Amino acid sequence: MMPHSDPDTSPTPAHRHAAWNIWNNPIFRRYCQSRLRLRGMGITILLTVLVAGFLVAIAAAVRTRGDFSPVDSARGPIIPLLVVQGLILFVLGTAQVAGGMTAERDEGVIDYQRLIPMSPLAKVMGYLFGLPVREYVMFLATLPFMAWCLWQGEVSWRVWLPLYTAFFTSTLLYYLTGLVTGTVVRNRRWAFLISIGLVFALYTVIPQMSRFGLVFFKYLTTSPVFAEALPGILPKDAGAVVATGQRLLPTVKFFNLDFSETVFTLFTQGGLILTFLVSLCRKWRRDESHLLGKIWALGFFIWVQVLLLGNALPLIEPGNLFPSREFNRMMRLDPNWQPAVMEAMALSAIYGLLTLGMLHVISSMITPTVDRQIQGWRRARKLGHPRIPWLTDAGSGWWFSLAMALAGGVGWYIFTRAVVESRWFPGQVVPLQVLGYFTALLFGVGVGFQALLETRGGPVARLTAILVGVVPLMVGAVFCVIGETFYPIGVWVIGISPFSQPFYAAGSVLPISDLPDSIARAVPLAFKFWLLVFALGAGWLARDLLARRKTIAEASMQATGAEPIEGA
Amino acid sequence: MTAPPPLPESPPAAIEVRGLRVDYGNFTAVDDFSLSVPAGEVFGLVGPNGAGKTSTFRVLTTLMEPTYGEVILDGVDVLENMEAARRIIGYMPDLAPVPGDLKVWEFLDFHAAAYGLGNRAQRRQRVNECLEEVALNDQRDSWCKELSRGQTQRVVLAKTLLHRPRVLILDEPASGLDPLARRDLRTALRRLAAGGATVFVSSHILSELAEMCSSLCVMNRGRLLAAGTAEQVRQQLGNTNRTLTATLLDRESEAAAWLTAQPGVHDLRVSGSQVVFGFTGSDEDQAGLVTRLIGQGLLLRTFEEKRSSFEDILVEVAENNRRS
Repeated sequence: MMPHSDPDTSPTPAHRHAAWNIWNNPIFRRYCQSRLRLRGMGITILLTVLVAGFLVAIAAAVRTRGDFSPVDSARGPIIPLLVVQGLILFVLGTAQVAGGMTAERDEGVIDYQRLIPMSPLAKVMGYLFGLPVREYVMFLATLPFMAWCLWQGEVSWRVWLPLYTAFFTSTLLYYLTGLVTGTVVRNRRWAFLISIGLVFALYTVIPQMSRFGLVFFKYLTTSPVFAEALPGILPKDAGAVVATGQRLLPTVKFFNLDFSETVFTLFTQGGLILTFLVSLCRKWRRDESHLLGKIWALGFFIWVQVLLLGNALPLIEPGNLFPSREFNRMMRLDPNWQPAVMEAMALSAIYGLLTLGMLHVISSMITPTVDRQIQGWRRARKLGHPRIPWLTDAGSGWWFSLAMALAGGVGWYIFTRAVVESRWFPGQVVPLQVLGYFTALLFGVGVGFQALLETRGGPVARLTAILVGVVPLMVGAVFCVIGETFYPIGVWVIGISPFSQPFYAAGSVLPISDLPDSIARAVPLAFKFWLLVFALGAGWLARDLLARRKTIAEASMQATGAEPIEGA
Repeated sequence: MTAPPPLPESPPAAIEVRGLRVDYGNFTAVDDFSLSVPAGEVFGLVGPNGAGKTSTFRVLTTLMEPTYGEVILDGVDVLENMEAARRIIGYMPDLAPVPGDLKVWEFLDFHAAAYGLGNRAQRRQRVNECLEEVALNDQRDSWCKELSRGQTQRVVLAKTLLHRPRVLILDEPASGLDPLARRDLRTALRRLAAGGATVFVSSHILSELAEMCSSLCVMNRGRLLAAGTAEQVRQQLGNTNRTLTATLLDRESEAAAWLTAQPGVHDLRVSGSQVVFGFTGSDEDQAGLVTRLIGQGLLLRTFEEKRSSFEDILVEVAENNRRS
């Protein structure tokens, strides 16, 4: 190391990289450099072009035989090309984003990036467009072939533009999912598997949920827009058949509003994209930050509730919410179809289970650890605050969990009431006390879990979730399998699990409840008993939480030598 | 009436740490750590593995929020003004990684662009300057993954220097460097300090830091044990033991008998014309002992002193802590 020039220690002037200026984003350019090298890219592009070219060439060959019109034969490769594009963007790209992000974290390079003076949003944009840049180029390589098919196939821009818009937003959504997974999950292999698993689930498992009243989930995929565009991209005869079939199906309704599939997909995905961006910016600003702020978390919870209700309620009157309706329509079984009572109970229970699951997940995101609370006290004292500000990460998440439980209870009640009081079950009325039961359940199981997490920490909460949530289900199932005599014992044991509570609630407190005789007595008793236990437990945990926070405040006060603060 | 001229103020410390504590659950990695480092100094932090050096550095570099304490870098409150602090910090982590899919110049150019160091030509010039600073110009077009450990360390050091940080925080920068490269690193750090930058450097090898730094501190099990110049650190650690050897022309037994009666003398033995003994006391005490020995009329041919090495001291401190 030879002396070269006089050391100049004046720091560099402030410089901001605009988040929107992707082309000049250093992180984007860094990945362009490393992932677009001719040596690595050549084979990939060649393969992509070969596959896309083969599909189009086959179509052109078919045209020469004269079996199909030029328009129809040109439309032939559109769907296979869309599948290829989907594989490139959704599968390869998402895997690359999640894996790449975790690799940066794993190797420690991320610390450099954390320190560079770019805004968190600019960093997120750099990774969002930089990490999968090769996949974007592969996608671009297929575009000329697709453009030829669309042009020759006389596909209107009104068809392909919404389709590609949904393609683009879905891509962003999945990549952001990959980025969040890569940022949170520390193991590279797990991050890869989880993000690919999520995308796979979106196209396989999640659409099934829409059959059980959770219609909102299908708008996280390109499927609705694709279905809407299908008549316009299929060969003309087939397209006409599909279009006729689609006219029989309901349009998208959100409460009393009518939306096109594209607009509603953009609306749904847009909310999630925004939430993921907020999460990532928070994480980039400080690694220890919670994924969501408290207000945003509460807003997100309510937003999903509104989406679930907005999608589901309009489907009740025509009967399309009930899973047996579609089955009946497809099989042309019974012209006087009626939904079964069990279906209504199951729909209510599934809604409650989803609400409970969301409450658990979002509460976990906003619950501070003990270290975080101490840090909060340190900062509060430094800034002269009498207590930790509510909305900071160090503030207690309990009140927000409670607010979510209340909102969830109301949402669940509205949904259940709409189903049970619909024209399908004449004369049924859901009393207001059901709202009390639902809210008590969400309080006992959801808010109680949050208090446990905040007072005892993650390991204890997770162990409790296994011992109380999973083990009773297994033990109870064993009892039930032994024989009918053991059903009541099985029911009581299964009732310990919070996961069974929404189903027990539907079977116990709904006026239409129609349980088999063997469990008709045990289920309501077990539900009310365990609900009381959970509610009392949650109350005790809330008291304990208050005491522990006070202890932490006092301990941190002693450590910092601060004066005791009134009301601390 | 004109306002009186402001009183001259002492320059603020470039690095000011007050009551720092870092907890990981029930484990306290750094405990009540306070420090003040003046600008333009090469300051060393030494401690065995697990002493809390990396946790301290991660707090200083805004990568971690402490449980308690305050950190001010060049007048900027690191915990309250993270963005401003990041602009003046140059951080080189322990076992500094480099992305294997980039060439050396690409890696440096990416950081130069991220710090907004001008257009492509200006960045290229700055990258070349920094590469020359770490004597790695000939590796400019090499792949990062092909570099040796020492070369990787130097590339990361070059990256750290790119934006001319006012506070350099280097976690074990000399590990993996050969003796020549270490000497050059020493020279480079001193030159940076002479230019006004403050260098905070850690190592678990005390002698290495003693050569490199104008002052240093010793940390063990999260606590600051001593701080100051190398000699002050030695004294603060209570290590005033030394082995003295007096070579006499004759009358060794008489000298041994006299020395045994002197305060601070222990473990005395006679070996030929040499009297070898341990001595515990200050430098002044030792000077008095030698003067008195000569005053006894003994013919002293040579007098030799051997002190414990820094490594020995650190091992002793670590052992004592472990036992306690």
